[in-house]
Amino acid sequence: MDGEFDPYALLHALERQRVTYVVIGGLGRVLHGSGEVTDGLDIVPSTREENLRRLGLALEDLNARRADGKPPALERDLVGRGVLELTTDSGELKIVPEPSGTQGYDDLRRRAERPPLGQGLRPAVASLDDHARMLAALDREQGREPLAVLQRLIELEHSLRRTPSIEL
Amino acid sequence: MQLAERSGKDRAQIARWERDSVTPSLETLRELLHACGFDLDLSLVPYRIPDAALDVRLGKAQEQTPQERLQAMLNARGR
Repeated sequence: MDGEFDPYALLHALERQRVTYVVIGGLGRVLHGSGEVTDGLDIVPSTREENLRRLGLALEDLNARRADGKPPALERDLVGRGVLELTTDSGELKIVPEPSGTQGYDDLRRRAERPPLGQGLRPAVASLDDHARMLAALDREQGREPLAVLQRLIELEHSLRRTPSIEL
Repeated sequence: MQLAERSGKDRAQIARWERDSVTPSLETLRELLHACGFDLDLSLVPYRIPDAALDVRLGKAQEQTPQERLQAMLNARGR
């Protein structure tokens, strides 16, 4: 049975197994204030062996299945694949080892933020600039509107900060 | 190699740029980029007039915490 999207359940499952990851995609953009609606959680995991083992345990807890209904085998399924799309009892989960325009977890974690989301959860969320970078690199029709929204968000955030003086 | 060594610019000045307390001039920015092996390519693009309705929506979202934004999204899904 495909579960109703429950981001808290997905994040709790990852935290319970102490998986290291960065949230990206629609949910990441929502947390930055894009105001869109999304049906799943997209994450960039650290691809270190121990972390993939922990992620595998979290996926078992979530009853994650691939499109063919079989459980994922991470080390095999992530090789040469841009995105591993899974269905879980708590909604869709996409695992993206190296999102377009980035070099993966280590690249994104440096600028990631950890907003408190309640229930003791403070997941690492890719920065607003990195979200825009990923969408710009995708260069897909469906990414243009979210990118325009993020670019406006970045402009609004900059305008709220103190305007630095320009040296002559 | 550090930017100061590459560009010959003062470390304290670079720190001010990094803190965003001062913005380098276009000419200085170009020198910094050259020191890092890059160049600056500027181009004119049509100016998009900001969408007032979008600005209102984004402005409201900016007043919320990330937790509130998540809750608002989940509420919108439930409608």
